[in-house]
Amino acid sequence: MTELQVQQTTAHWPNVQEMPFWLEKAIAWGQTDTPHTWKDISLHLKRLRDFLQQLLTEISSVSSTTETLNRLPLLGQLLGRLCWNPHVTAEGASRGLLLQCLLALYSEHPSNAVEGKANQWIQKVLCHLATDEEDGAAVALMKHLAVPTKEYHLNVLKKMVTRIQESIGNSQCSVSSTNKGCSCGSVWAASEACVPLITCPEASPLIGALLQQQMTCIREGLSENFLGALHSAYSRCDLLLDEQAVVSLWYQSLPSLEEAVLNLLASATAAGSTPSKVEEQVSKSLLPKACAQHCSVFLVVNDIFRTVLKQTERNERVKNVFQTFTKCFFMELSRLQPQPSASLKAFFPQSPPSLLIPLFTMPSEMPQESLKNHLMWVSSSLQRLTEEEEDEEDSDSGNIRGNHKVFEAWFLLVQCAYWVQVAVQLLVTSGPEDCGPLLWLLTFYHHPTNRWHHRASQLVQAKAAWDHLYSLFSTVAHPLPADHLQSFISLLAPKPQQPSLAPSLTLNLLVNFATFGQLPQSTSAEITQKVVHQSGLQDEAARVLSSLRLRLNDRGSFANDRVHLRIEELHNTIKKPM
Amino acid sequence: MEAVLKNVGRTVELLAVAAHSGVVNEWDEQTVTRAFHWARYCEHIYSRFHGNPVIRGVLEKQLQLTNHSLKEALPEYNAVSFLDLGRCQDLLLLWLLNNSALPVSIMKMLFETKASADSTSSNYEDVRGLCSQIIQCKSACTVLRPLLGVPTVGADAEVQGEMLMERLGSALSQSSDPLRAEDFLSSVLQEFEVAAEHLCPVIAAALLTTTDSAAQTASQDFLLDWLQSRRGTLQHVCTALPSKVLADLAKRHQKFRDAFCKLLKRWASEMEYRVTEGEWVHAATSSAVSFQKMTEHYLALFEACPSLRTEIEDELNARRIADGDFDVRGLSVWGDILLALRK
Repeated sequence: MTELQVQQTTAHWPNVQEMPFWLEKAIAWGQTDTPHTWKDISLHLKRLRDFLQQLLTEISSVSSTTETLNRLPLLGQLLGRLCWNPHVTAEGASRGLLLQCLLALYSEHPSNAVEGKANQWIQKVLCHLATDEEDGAAVALMKHLAVPTKEYHLNVLKKMVTRIQESIGNSQCSVSSTNKGCSCGSVWAASEACVPLITCPEASPLIGALLQQQMTCIREGLSENFLGALHSAYSRCDLLLDEQAVVSLWYQSLPSLEEAVLNLLASATAAGSTPSKVEEQVSKSLLPKACAQHCSVFLVVNDIFRTVLKQTERNERVKNVFQTFTKCFFMELSRLQPQPSASLKAFFPQSPPSLLIPLFTMPSEMPQESLKNHLMWVSSSLQRLTEEEEDEEDSDSGNIRGNHKVFEAWFLLVQCAYWVQVAVQLLVTSGPEDCGPLLWLLTFYHHPTNRWHHRASQLVQAKAAWDHLYSLFSTVAHPLPADHLQSFISLLAPKPQQPSLAPSLTLNLLVNFATFGQLPQSTSAEITQKVVHQSGLQDEAARVLSSLRLRLNDRGSFANDRVHLRIEELHNTIKKPM
Repeated sequence: MEAVLKNVGRTVELLAVAAHSGVVNEWDEQTVTRAFHWARYCEHIYSRFHGNPVIRGVLEKQLQLTNHSLKEALPEYNAVSFLDLGRCQDLLLLWLLNNSALPVSIMKMLFETKASADSTSSNYEDVRGLCSQIIQCKSACTVLRPLLGVPTVGADAEVQGEMLMERLGSALSQSSDPLRAEDFLSSVLQEFEVAAEHLCPVIAAALLTTTDSAAQTASQDFLLDWLQSRRGTLQHVCTALPSKVLADLAKRHQKFRDAFCKLLKRWASEMEYRVTEGEWVHAATSSAVSFQKMTEHYLALFEACPSLRTEIEDELNARRIADGDFDVRGLSVWGDILLALRK
């Protein structure tokens, strides 16, 4: 609650005290018309709106205007002066409240001379505001040419917006010629003046131009009020800006950027969002584009992701959003720069540099045969890193900084999780000899920390799962070995004593085996259905399958029609009730 | 035609009711919307027929009749002219707002304000919130006006110039007789003998609008000819406007360039040297042109049309020589101009 609201609940008619303050302000604002006046107005605009709202409530609660005017004798003066201030009347919310206050004072059946006079005055003010009767030669000419008032003023407004945009575009701040006096002061003044016009549709090209103005000046920048008002309007979804202007807004207003990122995360991880929906949401959000254009924006976004990830290690949905985001971001970056890999270090200063290029090379850019070796290399690099850090930890138990490197490497892997997907797919066609490093990678992805040295046990479980699947999907025998299947299903059940393997790891393996394995479609489907339904993991399995389908739809993936058919079949199988 | 006359007559009666009658107290949103609809209809009739003398005459006759009968019924009634039909909605709004019987509910409807930017650009059919939108436009213009810096002619003049051109264009196209268009211009501009200096930027803006069609070029030509035929107006324009604007006009229109140069020479030849002030001063005190201003005009002209420089300097020099070929200040206005230009 604001201070004002607190006061209201305890005191009677608190506005009597505020009134002289606002009247004084209104008088002062009417006397000068400089950028500093505009700054003062925009600084107070929100408070003024709150005050007008309270006035309106109180005026409406009293049935007679005479009574109101007795209690608030300065009311008429204040409202009148505010009506003549274009900075107050240009802004939607304050104009609305002001007009409502006036109309609330109008008496349908005036009972005395005071009310009659008030009525007359109100009608006069309204008439003057909405028509051009009292204006000078300019409007007289328009009358003679028979141009309607609204059309005329609308055209003048559009013309002004165009001209000011032009003059802003032409103004340069040359840091060298400091004695010339840069024109950035005029950009600041313009941004200050435009605060009330932020939600005015005709002014939005100008707002956009101001945002995108290259602010190279060290002395002047866009007005703080301007950025703050933009942020508020943005939060209310009340802003009409084109794409580049939104990007510029994020670049200049940290609160707006943070809000945009958190909104995206919230909507992308909401219940019912599928991987393809997430991709749509992410690319529509303009954030990847903004990140590609401004490294500083990306660093902020990445930092938010980092913080979120630290709190939700196991959340597959969240990890999926990061992966999708990175993919879209990299696509945008490639559009802007011919050699995006050259600038990766700037975007990922905390990640191990040796991993950057290998992980950001898309699987589609490599020949199929090299994929396995590539992943082997990645896996061993990561293994080395974790071992180094664990050695450090053991020798110097007070050193907690060590965890940092492994976390950053894992964070990078999460963002480039398409490589993990490739690893899982390759595990289907690998033999027992070379599945080790790939399994390690998969386990590391799902369990990055090696608390209490659980990794060894998790690796054993992963190998066991893979062994099961390997034999399940290579036997052509029918009926299925029931006990084999049962022991596999039991792997998926959570165990209270041991550190259990993430179900999504096992499910991912299963789905890939079912899709790419050599067994006939129906058998694969049967196996999958049994496992999924008995372990109760339909939703997770469906999500994994959707991700796979999405990845294979991407340009450059090595998938054919047979694979797509299998996925469809599996999808239907999972959805079917037992 | 019968129907049109009847409708126009009815609408004028409606306006009178809106202005003076207590009946307005019973009006609801639907009634008001319909009233504005009829007002729009009249505006449409005006724009279609204002250039057609025959139909215009018929309509004016009808108005006369309606005005007469209304005046008899309502002594306080103000006659509606044919010109007023062109901005019928404005009149309706004005008279409604001045009518003390107007119910608060209607006022609330007209002044309704949507705080969000949802209501994208005005739907002309909407009466709800109409006044609030007008206020927003007007306020936004006032807020932005100081940001325009030093204008060439100013956004207001630009828009007025565009509209003048548009009306002129339709006047020229609607009748083959150029006199009509001339009458139109004269009538528009004659009303503002008092506000001549306001009109000058408008005329300049009109002449500077970019022309996309032959018709627009023809309109500008027409305006130029008209301007040149009226010495007084031309002189006014060249006195009131800043050098840059005049130079732009000269750059754009050959005719104007010639007329302007001629005028400058005439002004210079009318100047006298005042020994006490050490300055050249224009003989006729009514003119506001100073020696300095004249030099500025020349300099701006040279900047806009560099090719003119040698031609004009040669001419000035020739006149200086004719004056006696002196190099001393104060003896030949032409020589002094040259001196000032060369600085």
